[in-house]
Amino acid sequence: MACQKDPEGIETCYLNQSAVFTNQHVLEIGSGDGRLTWRYAHSAGRVTGIELDAEALRTATKDRAESLRDRVAFVRANSLDLPFPRETFDIAILAWSF
Amino acid sequence: MHALEETRRILVPEGVLIDLRPVADRWPVGVVSGGNQHEIAWMTDLPSGLADDEAANHAFIEIARRGSFVCESELTFLFFFYWDTPEEMLTYIQEKWNDSLILEKDSFSATQNDWATAGTDRRVRVREKMVLTRWRRH
Repeated sequence: MACQKDPEGIETCYLNQSAVFTNQHVLEIGSGDGRLTWRYAHSAGRVTGIELDAEALRTATKDRAESLRDRVAFVRANSLDLPFPRETFDIAILAWSF
Repeated sequence: MHALEETRRILVPEGVLIDLRPVADRWPVGVVSGGNQHEIAWMTDLPSGLADDEAANHAFIEIARRGSFVCESELTFLFFFYWDTPEEMLTYIQEKWNDSLILEKDSFSATQNDWATAGTDRRVRVREKMVLTRWRRH
């Protein structure tokens, strides 16, 4: 078995308590393979994940559910130079990345 | 520091920043089996891992001082990693955490010994402490 992370769902519970994601435009910085993204994306309006690791990006894109295809996107980008206009997102998550 | 200012730029006024990360600490390693858990070793932070954590803390103190963000809440919780065998855990540590954490040889041996005598549903577990901080863009 590969590494299993947080099967108890503790992180999911606290993350969803920390903000209301409903209809919000979310930027996840350091989205990795999408493990955290799938834990809140279903309720968010739109999600953009940025990640530098190309393999992790491929995995995230491959694992994206069909139902999320129009609302979740992954982009290769650096947190020091975010390729988005100012005041684009309602919520930003620094996901294990700072 | 610059990354946080860049994040502020793309957030709407009153937008929310969630900082989610592990706390630099000695992470206990143990074996779980039959509903029991036995922590018998620790992972150790390397100086680079501690320095990264310190730099992150400093950056957040600085943006709070500047008034770019206001801290609204902070909480901690536990996060668990599981593997079927000590060897799988060691491989993962070496591949993913090599630059920030180390599992000493004695700690790995102790984990192997404990795992060898545990029940058939045995798994190896690392427990870490997470901090989740919610900031409001000012």
